[in-house]
Amino acid sequence: MKKPIFLLILLIALGAFLYAYRAYNKPHTDVASTEAAETISASAIFQAFELDDSAAMVKYSDKVIAIHGLLLNRDLSNEKEPQIVLEGNGYDGFIRCGFKPEYLDKLLSLQDSTTAHLKGICMGMNGSEELDLLADKDVVLSNCTLID
Amino acid sequence: MKKITILTLATICFGMMAFTSHSGGIFKTNTGNINFFSHTPIEDITADNHKVKTAFDATSGKMQFSALIKDFEFPKALMQEHFNENYMESTTFPKSTFSGMIENVAAIKTGENGIYKSTVSGKLTIKDVTKDVSTEGTFTVKDGVVNAKTTFVINPTDYNIEIPKSVAGKISKEIKITVDADYRHAH
Repeated sequence: MKKPIFLLILLIALGAFLYAYRAYNKPHTDVASTEAAETISASAIFQAFELDDSAAMVKYSDKVIAIHGLLLNRDLSNEKEPQIVLEGNGYDGFIRCGFKPEYLDKLLSLQDSTTAHLKGICMGMNGSEELDLLADKDVVLSNCTLID
Repeated sequence: MKKITILTLATICFGMMAFTSHSGGIFKTNTGNINFFSHTPIEDITADNHKVKTAFDATSGKMQFSALIKDFEFPKALMQEHFNENYMESTTFPKSTFSGMIENVAAIKTGENGIYKSTVSGKLTIKDVTKDVSTEGTFTVKDGVVNAKTTFVINPTDYNIEIPKSVAGKISKEIKITVDADYRHAH
């Protein structure tokens, strides 16, 4: 009688350990294999944040978002996270998309002033009207991947 | 001959003006790095943000930073989740900002290669709580790029970051913040 109870407790403990281990080591979201929660143009997502930052955070942040927009430039100044910049709102608003370093070659092959299609995790809007040197704003996406 | 001399002088003057203008003005980057590090005997926790927006005015000494909290990437997804949802409430408080001054900014010759030490003091805002901070930084000018580096320590409780007792042993009471940014002249 004691043996089955002991085995049951052991199984429960093992199950709990495995659950905790898997939760602790769960991987980051794999953007490439995750279906986008929303597909939106660069200017539309910029407008959504500009109009109501708090509401846009609730709607878009932490989600994989597919975006298309005019590629203004590639910002490769930080080798740890090469980035591209899409037009969000003329010269005042941008969509800044960060990639893993292994995407560098693909980013180099992109042509400026063409439409870029990508998806990434939305982090929010950076920049602030209260900081006069940083008044231009970027909607930021991370862990981006290009969509063919 | 006279025409050539005037043209040469004009070119030199224009060149000097261009050089002088780069000695002042606004220097900026959208790809600054901020790392934070917590050490306890149980666990080390580190996270990086590589898309920090920052600028300084080489004439007035004004310096500003804006960093998205959600953009700090942790080695483990679960840590990142807990950081954003439980401690930083980053959907409600999405940004951390700093606004301050570089002391004796005139000593930093942004038009000449060199290494300069200076103190930066100002107001750091995290979770809508603003505190005065002051830190010594190193400005390294190389070929028109100004690299700024500094390390300072903050106490999470100063910014209403509450650490539950169940994990208090895993998170240090003093968090080391390291800033490393390459600024370029903003045209």
